[in-house]
Amino acid sequence: MEDFFTYSVILGIFVATVKIATPLLIAATGELVAESSGILNLSLEGTMTIGAFTGFLVANETGSLWLGLVGAAVGGGALGLLMALMTATVKVNQVVAGLALNILGLGGAFFWYRSVYDEGGAVALPTVDRFDTATVPLLADIPAVGEILFDQHWLTYFAVLMVPATFIFLYRTKYGLELRSIGHNPEACDMRGVGIISRQYTAVVYGGVMAGLGGAFLSLSEAGQFFPDIIAGRGWIALAIVIFGNWRASWILVGSLLFGFLEATQLSLQASDVNLPYQLLLALPFVLTIAALVLNRSRSRVPLALTIPYHRGER
Amino acid sequence: MSEQVGDTASTGTGGEPGGGPTRRDPLSLLFQPGGWRLERRLETRAVHELYATLIALAITAVIIGLLVIIAGVSPLSAFSSLYDGAFGDRESALETLVQATPLILTGLAAAIAFRAGVWNIGGQGQFIAGAIGTWWVYDTMPGLPAPLLFVAMFAGAAVFGAVWASVASVLLVRYGTNEILTTVMLNFVIDYGLSWLLSGPWQANNTPYSQTERMVESTFLPRFFDDSRLHLGFAIALVMAAVVHFVVRRTTLGFELRAVGVNKQAAAYKGISTGAAIIAVMAISGALAGMAGAGELLGLHHRINFEFGEQMIGFTGIIIALVARLHPAGVIVVAIAFAGLLNGSTQMQIGTGIPAALVTVIEGVALVLVLLAAVACRYRLRRAAAHADESAEGPG
Repeated sequence: MEDFFTYSVILGIFVATVKIATPLLIAATGELVAESSGILNLSLEGTMTIGAFTGFLVANETGSLWLGLVGAAVGGGALGLLMALMTATVKVNQVVAGLALNILGLGGAFFWYRSVYDEGGAVALPTVDRFDTATVPLLADIPAVGEILFDQHWLTYFAVLMVPATFIFLYRTKYGLELRSIGHNPEACDMRGVGIISRQYTAVVYGGVMAGLGGAFLSLSEAGQFFPDIIAGRGWIALAIVIFGNWRASWILVGSLLFGFLEATQLSLQASDVNLPYQLLLALPFVLTIAALVLNRSRSRVPLALTIPYHRGER
Repeated sequence: MSEQVGDTASTGTGGEPGGGPTRRDPLSLLFQPGGWRLERRLETRAVHELYATLIALAITAVIIGLLVIIAGVSPLSAFSSLYDGAFGDRESALETLVQATPLILTGLAAAIAFRAGVWNIGGQGQFIAGAIGTWWVYDTMPGLPAPLLFVAMFAGAAVFGAVWASVASVLLVRYGTNEILTTVMLNFVIDYGLSWLLSGPWQANNTPYSQTERMVESTFLPRFFDDSRLHLGFAIALVMAAVVHFVVRRTTLGFELRAVGVNKQAAAYKGISTGAAIIAVMAISGALAGMAGAGELLGLHHRINFEFGEQMIGFTGIIIALVARLHPAGVIVVAIAFAGLLNGSTQMQIGTGIPAALVTVIEGVALVLVLLAAVACRYRLRRAAAHADESAEGPG
């Protein structure tokens, strides 16, 4: 047990925490915007997988990681567009549409990957050179803190910046206010002449783009390759984080870091010989999310019209 | 009465009074200039739904065919090898039924819950809970005589599945927490719970693997034929489909849960305890998914290992229920078709080089199109001549 509480192990856990939190944070801030417009996009897992794949595909074909990110954004955004089409326009039940696109995303990425790269038999997995970590000059030299916060991938800095950016967008801009109003009371917005469908499209496609980028972090910054199980439940965790954070950007940051910390700790636990069921730490985020749902119910910030399709002139 | 799942719009009102022009609907904007307009049907008929579903599946086949062509294979040879692998001979047809067995049960589990408007996304977790319950009975009651042990093991599976589902329904009824979110979370919790059991208390001796001991042979479900793995679980699944149909259609509980599914408020005004109905339907749903876990364990695997949940039987059940438009008989048909896809995909991959993952794409495309078709069949095209003046007001 003493071996576990060494400086280097604990520092390693905190560095990993931030890294693990990154894709969750990117996807969750995107989902927050989508849900603010009243559309619950359950297809994050599939969208992240598509993003991880299209990002990898483009990066591998063109040799440019930056174009890969564009590819990931397009892939995720395309699935988001399909989601918006099904829910905002056709008004298919959002849960069902989300599940359908989830499976379409997972299957599509897997099938496409196999069609492009698998020439029968065991081939070495194709890889791309990963993004380097972007070290912030000076700040990175601060002991411990520098290593944890300022020696990460640049997508990590982007993810953290998206927290205040999302807050400002949702709470300090007219468009953000309109989005949230649509999520709470579409009838009133419609009466005021605020176009509902166009804003829902924007929000859901944006959510898809962010989920795609979150997936690309895993394939382009972390793994340097794509494999079908690359997202491994992170899409669902990102959804949980939005709930855990009670639809507030700042608490979504807290939730992402907490979930990242638990994951990082259990990884270290597994690597060490400490005899503690690591599954407990893995299950904890989901238990906490359920607890948050129950405890926050009286001050819940859930968009009131979430999952309820808006039909003009009907109730 | 239209029984659309997931359609809160058609539940309350039956469309515009007098079937007036519905240019309120964004879809109709597509049809404005040509003088045609979409009109909402006052009610949808089951035949229309069936046709719409069949058309959606036909379009699915076309899309998948195009994908296969892009992948460089003739769709004819891909589909025929898929079919051969699924239903080509007696052996593969029976194997398809083997794979359909748990899917029928998880499909029913989703269908009955969705009928009541309760979004149980936790079939996957309840399936695993069922397997855990089966093993728990097996582990703690070794002295039971064979027939009683079978009953006890299936009952254990049903109870564990029902209890796990009830966590979500009790929270829903008591605190109003969204059951979609809680059931999704509970799937993960039990997944890790099982992982802990398999690497800890229930781990088989002398093995590095996360798995239980192999069960003794007297607990294997009897098989129908010598040359196939088809086991009694398939018959149980069919019986449960009949039971679900009977419960939904012919009992008070079934009436109540359908009423709750169509309109909670109206049901409450009518004196139906919506809370009790939600608890009941979730327990039934969880029990069905749990029985699927028992069937897989006792009929096929005979031990729980870390791969037990990997086939996503619970999730596939949701898709099956939706494609089947929540009809129990439809669930059987769709489950067998999906099992055929799964079973045939291996042969297709070997024979034509098309990745077996195509099956997942087929499932996804089919579901998307069936959902769109379900909406589409609530509308009809009409010549719009008289109401042209109304299109003057701007869209929202």
